[in-house]
Amino acid sequence: MNRKTFSIGGIHPADSKFAADRPIEVLPLPDKVYVSMSQCLGAPSKPIVAVGDKVLAGQVLAEPGGFIGAFVHSPVSGTVKAIGPGKDLAGNRITQIEIDVEGDEWAPGIDLSPELVTELPDDRQVILDKIKAAGVVGLGGATFPTHVKLNPAPPAKAEALLINGSECEPFLTSDYRLMLERPSEIVVGAALMQKALGGPVCYICIEDNKPKAIESMQKAIDSLPYKDILVQPLKKKYPQGGEKQLIDAVMHRQVKSGALPISEGAVVQNATTSFAVYEAVQKNKPLVSNIMTITGNCLPVESQHNCLFRIGVPLSFIAEWAGGVPEKAAKIISGGPMMGKAIANLDAATVKGSSSLLYLSEEVTRRRPEQQCIRCGRCSDACPMGLEPFLLNKLYLAGGREEELEKNAAQDCIECGCCLYSCPAGIPLLDNVRQAKVQVMGIIRARAAAAKAAAEAAKNKN
Amino acid sequence: MTDTIIWTIVILAGLGLLLALLLYFIAQKFKVVEDPRIDEVEKALPGANCGGCGYAGCRDFAATSVNDEGLTRHFCPVGGNEVMKKVSAILGYTIEEKAPQVAVLRCNGSCEVRPVVNEYDGVKSCKVKASLYSGDTMCPYGCLGCGDCVAACRFGALAMDPATGLPVVDETKCTACGACVKACPKNLIELRNKGPRGMRMVVECRNNDKGPAARKACGNACIGCGICVKTCTHDAIVLENNLAYIDFTKCKLCRECEAVCPTGAIHGINFPKPLDKDAVKARIAERNKAAAAAKAAAAATAVKPEAKEEAK
Repeated sequence: MNRKTFSIGGIHPADSKFAADRPIEVLPLPDKVYVSMSQCLGAPSKPIVAVGDKVLAGQVLAEPGGFIGAFVHSPVSGTVKAIGPGKDLAGNRITQIEIDVEGDEWAPGIDLSPELVTELPDDRQVILDKIKAAGVVGLGGATFPTHVKLNPAPPAKAEALLINGSECEPFLTSDYRLMLERPSEIVVGAALMQKALGGPVCYICIEDNKPKAIESMQKAIDSLPYKDILVQPLKKKYPQGGEKQLIDAVMHRQVKSGALPISEGAVVQNATTSFAVYEAVQKNKPLVSNIMTITGNCLPVESQHNCLFRIGVPLSFIAEWAGGVPEKAAKIISGGPMMGKAIANLDAATVKGSSSLLYLSEEVTRRRPEQQCIRCGRCSDACPMGLEPFLLNKLYLAGGREEELEKNAAQDCIECGCCLYSCPAGIPLLDNVRQAKVQVMGIIRARAAAAKAAAEAAKNKN
Repeated sequence: MTDTIIWTIVILAGLGLLLALLLYFIAQKFKVVEDPRIDEVEKALPGANCGGCGYAGCRDFAATSVNDEGLTRHFCPVGGNEVMKKVSAILGYTIEEKAPQVAVLRCNGSCEVRPVVNEYDGVKSCKVKASLYSGDTMCPYGCLGCGDCVAACRFGALAMDPATGLPVVDETKCTACGACVKACPKNLIELRNKGPRGMRMVVECRNNDKGPAARKACGNACIGCGICVKTCTHDAIVLENNLAYIDFTKCKLCRECEAVCPTGAIHGINFPKPLDKDAVKARIAERNKAAAAAKAAAAATAVKPEAKEEAK
């Protein structure tokens, strides 16, 4: 087996995939769902329903708020109770639509049968339009609208489509379960995206700690008639699932600082996104559900779950369904332990990108006391972007050194947390580097705005 | 022997003189002409180099002010009017006097009234904390309590009060340079006019949530009920996004808003006497009564002629 991995940095945290053998269960419907308008990267969506409207599952609730934006659909059938302010899982204010659940009646035209549809539409524009109309966004975590990614502005051309099934974060098993249980759908989704991109080679990238998934995907590919779809096993290393790391691992190409993957001819899509694309195009089913892992180091294996949830279900409802929050849990995280976000508000509703409910105990989450940097260089060794976190940290703390931070590429940080994980002195490197990144992005944006204004002024003069 | 000593002295002295002359002529030739007023202005400035004026330091302030056409773009918040008078005397400009300002915290969510609902274990920096989530209390607008403002203050005018978990401004030390205003990620600090004898009225809250939500989050929150707006006879209070704001240029320090505020979000600062709420409320009630009576009388006079006609 020809296993590949990315060339610089990376760490090997314990696997901890305790929920790997738990099959996907379907979550029951709650009494109320809260659909957030901020479900994807980019502008928040604009509601197009009014209070009191009856909605069906799969009906459009909101339109994209900009070019980078996505449609939002109703996950249930019921009555719109309110459209107003709510709080997301970090406690920040968002706009949300509250729906009283009255049943599970789907909008007409949506195919809910389990049969596999393998015939692809002839026109790539049909595929793109259907993906856009279904509100599909990247489910690997960044929730970038998929139709934008699949339609690169010329002259950029995709040479490879990478289906990301590496799931390199510890604990998470939702992608893995989907690859075991619905491999054919993922392959059809990959073929659809391949067609939309004009037929590049498609690699389904899976880390070697998931041999069953590799086998299952291979079987599905063999049984289906598509060309140029291959399984690419990868050596386990975090953060393999990072877009730039995956491109490096599979294609041996480095995406330049500030550039998009398409500049190197690559398009990366998550395996679950591929499934969502299949449902959107072949079944006309919009993205109203996703798979969530309920796991943790203080949760017995029998109460760990992988569940198919409707978007908008409150996190507290899922926690309750799975048997309540364990007593020992000191921190609840949405997402993986490396890049996930701590949940401050368990009453918040799930969004398209919600992928896990992770309970971690005091021992593993408590920060170590901060000590002096001993210049061991472990953070630099671990950084998959080849940065020097200790230096960025120092420059940030000195204050007012944005230009030096830019020279040292603070803006390239992918916030994977390898530096923080590897630091023996417990220095909060990631927290500070993230702030440094914000500062540098600020000056880059200000510079671009100034250049634009200057260009416009010159134009007006002429 | 003596000869050697004399020759040595003469040669060295001659060499020294020659080099000194050379240096003198070079210095004359490549002299940088600088406006002597820059030095004078810099001497007049406090020399804190805090950047509160918006320039890179006192020297930059001096250099730019000398080359500017007036002093409209220059004001030293640390030195205040006195220093600006000196500067204007040196440069020969006239200036408008500005009211002295002071930093004011617009949050009164002390530990008592704003319970902590989760534990923050990250870096002790408000900026980092604000980027991660809304904070460890129910109020997403309030003070995060990590002391970024205290760290930003170059005059030692801010300190965290461990009892309330909020920063306290030492008015004698605060120079209104605005460093803390920039440091606060929640925009809780505002520069306000000091007011006569330091007295001023402040709504110590920035919660934009509706009443019930704000109340639930913090006992001292402004719930946007608008009683203060109705009571104020000077048009000094505006209500926007469920939050009252007192315009310090219009406020006449009558303290009526403080008396009627149901949550205690409005505070009078530096008043010599504590507020007698009942007396002020009685005064307002009387005034309202009188106003109502006047209105009724006016209505009566307006109605009367018609009534008379009908009687006829």
